[in-house]
Amino acid sequence: MYMNLSRVRAGGQVTEATAVIVVEGLRKSIRNGARTVDILKGIDFEVPRGQFVAIMGSSGSGKSTLLGLLAGLDTPTAGEVRLNGTAISYLPEDKLAKVRGRTVGFVFQSYQLVPTLTALENVLLPYELNADGDVDAGLRRARELLTNVGLGDRMDHYPVQLSGGEQQRVALARAFILRPPIVLADEPTGNLDTVNGSHVLELLLNLNRSEGTTLVLVTHDPMLADYADRRIVLRDGLVISDELTPKKAEELVR
Amino acid sequence: MASLSYRTALKIARHEMRASSGKFFFVVLSIAIGVGALTGVRGFSSSFRSALLDRARSIMAADLSARMFQQPTPEEQKGLDAIGAESVQMTPVTELLSMASAAKTLDPLLVSLKAVDPKMYPFYGEVELQPAGKLSDVLHDDTVVVADDLLVRLRLNVGDSLKVGNRIFRIAAVVVNEPDRLSGNFAAGPRVFISREGLDASGLLAPGSHAGQRYLFRVPKPENGAPISEAAVANLKERLEKLLPEAQVIDYRETNPALTQGLDRATSLLSLMSLVALVLGAVGVAMAMRAHLEQRLDTIAIMKAIGAGSGEIIRIYLIQTLMLGLLGAVLGIALGTGVQVAFPYVLGRMLNVPTSVHLQVRTILTGLATGVLTTLLFTLPPLLDIRSVRPVLIFRRAVEESADPFVTAFFRKLSKNLAQIVAVALILGGLAAIATTLSDSVTVGQVFSVGLVAVLAVLLAACAALLASLRWFLSRTRLRLPSALRHGLANLYRPGNPSAALLAAVGMGVMQITAVFLVQQAVVSELHISSAPNLPNVFMIDITSDEIAGVRALLKAQSAVTADPELLPVVSSRIIAIDGVPASQARLKNFPRRMLQTISLTSFSAPPTGTTVTDGEWWSAGETRPLVAIGRRTAERLGVKVGSKITFAAQDAQITATVAALTKADGQHTYARAEFILPPAVLKGLPVVWYGGVHVDPNRVGEVQRALYKSYPTITVINVAQALEAVRSVVIQITYVIQFLAAFSVFAGIVILASAIAGTRYRRIREVVVLKTLGATRARIGTVFSVEFAVLGLVAGVVGVGFANLIARALLGRMTVPYRFHFSWTLGALLATAAITVFTGWAASYRVLGQKPLEVLREE
Repeated sequence: MYMNLSRVRAGGQVTEATAVIVVEGLRKSIRNGARTVDILKGIDFEVPRGQFVAIMGSSGSGKSTLLGLLAGLDTPTAGEVRLNGTAISYLPEDKLAKVRGRTVGFVFQSYQLVPTLTALENVLLPYELNADGDVDAGLRRARELLTNVGLGDRMDHYPVQLSGGEQQRVALARAFILRPPIVLADEPTGNLDTVNGSHVLELLLNLNRSEGTTLVLVTHDPMLADYADRRIVLRDGLVISDELTPKKAEELVR
Repeated sequence: MASLSYRTALKIARHEMRASSGKFFFVVLSIAIGVGALTGVRGFSSSFRSALLDRARSIMAADLSARMFQQPTPEEQKGLDAIGAESVQMTPVTELLSMASAAKTLDPLLVSLKAVDPKMYPFYGEVELQPAGKLSDVLHDDTVVVADDLLVRLRLNVGDSLKVGNRIFRIAAVVVNEPDRLSGNFAAGPRVFISREGLDASGLLAPGSHAGQRYLFRVPKPENGAPISEAAVANLKERLEKLLPEAQVIDYRETNPALTQGLDRATSLLSLMSLVALVLGAVGVAMAMRAHLEQRLDTIAIMKAIGAGSGEIIRIYLIQTLMLGLLGAVLGIALGTGVQVAFPYVLGRMLNVPTSVHLQVRTILTGLATGVLTTLLFTLPPLLDIRSVRPVLIFRRAVEESADPFVTAFFRKLSKNLAQIVAVALILGGLAAIATTLSDSVTVGQVFSVGLVAVLAVLLAACAALLASLRWFLSRTRLRLPSALRHGLANLYRPGNPSAALLAAVGMGVMQITAVFLVQQAVVSELHISSAPNLPNVFMIDITSDEIAGVRALLKAQSAVTADPELLPVVSSRIIAIDGVPASQARLKNFPRRMLQTISLTSFSAPPTGTTVTDGEWWSAGETRPLVAIGRRTAERLGVKVGSKITFAAQDAQITATVAALTKADGQHTYARAEFILPPAVLKGLPVVWYGGVHVDPNRVGEVQRALYKSYPTITVINVAQALEAVRSVVIQITYVIQFLAAFSVFAGIVILASAIAGTRYRRIREVVVLKTLGATRARIGTVFSVEFAVLGLVAGVVGVGFANLIARALLGRMTVPYRFHFSWTLGALLATAAITVFTGWAASYRVLGQKPLEVLREE
């Protein structure tokens, strides 16, 4: 029954040319001692440019693993992920790093800032790692992004000197600095209180809109998922529903 | 809530250890490496040392010898009997020149008689006989054992009869080598061993005969197989010196200057290496525990958050760290002991040093105590700190107010926590006590502990300064530097990050390793000088001035002679006054008064080879004023200083000479015999005989002896080649042992440092993952880490190598070994440090670099 549901493609009219993310027959198993655990049991979907997708599911449904595979953080057991037309799943590690750097911005639940670098340097890091342009342009953009997320006066602070909400805002700026076509976020508000959480979410959606990025967000918060254009629900490694939602995101962005 | 029982605490601690056994294994391994190095080096050095000291004892045949110049007074005899009645063994050795003759032909020959008690003599070593046998089996009251030389000259064979004094003895065997050749008189004639009863029966020992008397002493060996206590030897020496004020009492280290030096330096160096092993072991344990605790902080915070009391947490982790410390220490002891048991079989053959491995309980206990104490030292304070910390602070590890996290945090802790200070003081006291008992040499102990404290202070200051300047530098240039370089440098300065501690640990380790290397090099090159193959081993007495040119020519023509002869002119004289005080009333110290009657003066215009001036100044060439240079020890015994006046009488001339310089001879050259040197002009016209020394291939001394005898029958030739070869072989063994142990220490040190650096890899995993997610290639991440490690290595190297030079200089100064600064070694050590830190950093991070990011993220 679930199989049938997973074949229902929301936005089925999307063609290969406009799809930024294509997932085909994705499987992931990990060996846990003697037995093999199937985390993803065959996932297929496509995401058109500019869409905001929420991936939902209870703990252990495989949503974080799916997101990781989308970012090329691990190799699938079977199947393929294509980002902007490039098949990434079986690329060698260093090539993969390049694709990741240019195509994907990633926001972690636990921020994952580099502790030895200042907020500004953290934001600048992807630029330095991937962009060919001059540093000054990158610096300008990094400062602008930090100002946009309300941290204009804390650029030279180290991560430990920032609160959780502030750290996550630095992480947002970092994810967007290269204007990546895709931003992936793993429970970006999961570690934050309601006020900080909605502030971060607001910023994320604003950036997503103004930069025109495709956003895939993992969450188990239905309220948050309501803002998405589309909801994909996982259970036990399979897609059990995939549907478009009424445009509520517009309301949030004032 | 009810407090946690120790049993439950133990259960939790055990459970946690089992749950992440991989990480704990690493901690245990680091501790084991530290303790293993300590146990191994300690064990090696004590085994080798006792083996070397046994060899040294066999060169004197005893632990101590007292040389008498007259028969002991009844009172002295009573004292000697009292010593003999204790557990100390004592045997007299009497040497005298006498005539012996073949019983049939009655051809006479001057021989040097040596009367011993074959049941006791020698206490150590063997008298080598031909045919092979034991001295006690062949030497009876009616037999003698003689040198081959005697048989040749008197045309006798073993079994023939020899008349000594008024008795006839049967020749029972030929003596090839005797252990205490160097400590006896230089005998002018062939050796004849005789029993004490035989000597008494010969009637030669009439009152007034010029017999040299020595007493040999043996200190009892402890029953548990441990080496003979050096304190016991020193005590007996002191006692004998008091009892026999006119005797020369020397211990087994003093038979030959090369041996004395070699043993002293080996002792210092081995004790230095033991201390270094202790500190390196401690560093290893400390770094392991530090990395371990860092990881446990989150768990601790969680436990606190769910209501665990500080006491309970401390209990759990104290038990856990103690278990880790004990486990590591036991493993380390097994490792060290295994190496110690396995190596001597190989080494004994390779270095030709017979080593008996006796596992010392003391060494094992030291290792165990060091492992556990160091573990406690580095875990107790942070654990105690938990009491005052709120969980959220542990989570966030907030350091906002701290500009210099390590130092200020340290002082803040000091002012806040009395319990911690007490704990640290107690543990440090314990370690200091271990270090003190480890150090056999007080000098090394002093220099080392002062050096250690200074180095720690300077290292911490240097690290703080470096980090501060790095911060300043980065804040100025941050965004203009290439980003990989900037990132690498920034990694050294992370708020609340222990890189200061790592820097201090690596610097300390580098200092220790380099100090051992530098001291070892200097000592070994000194020992090579004193065991040089061309030193005189055959001496010639009574060469007249007319013969001297001929003797030179003859020696030059001999192919067995491998070096130019060292010849010195001797004028016989006596001392009649010191600083105006007549000789009969002069205050002397361990200098037999009658020796003032036989003083040999020599003349040189410049200090002879191997002699150095320690006080005052040598005269210029062509000096005509009556000046004299005196050997330092003789001056001490005579009670004279630079500026004192000594009146010599030679023939009918009197010379009142001013002491211009005190000298020290290396003891390796013939010139060392010159205790009183005057300018040539002063001794002009006085009758001179020459004294000479020459190096002859030890196996071909006979040819040279025969050639000299043929042309110059009046010249007495003394052959100590065999005895000197024995000393030389011991000194060479010392150098081997030193080099081997130094290499082992250096190797163990590098392993420990490498494991300390590798221990930082867990905290890098997360960083690698983040960087990869942001699109960094492995090369890029590698570059960042390389910059970090290279700077770390260079800074630690500069401080460590700098201090190593200072310490080597201080130590060598005390050991009177010249210190030379070697730029190439310093640079080499510096680069090696950087290379090793980068390499181990790489090696440790390699697996992390290859991991898929998601695997790591999933673990969290």
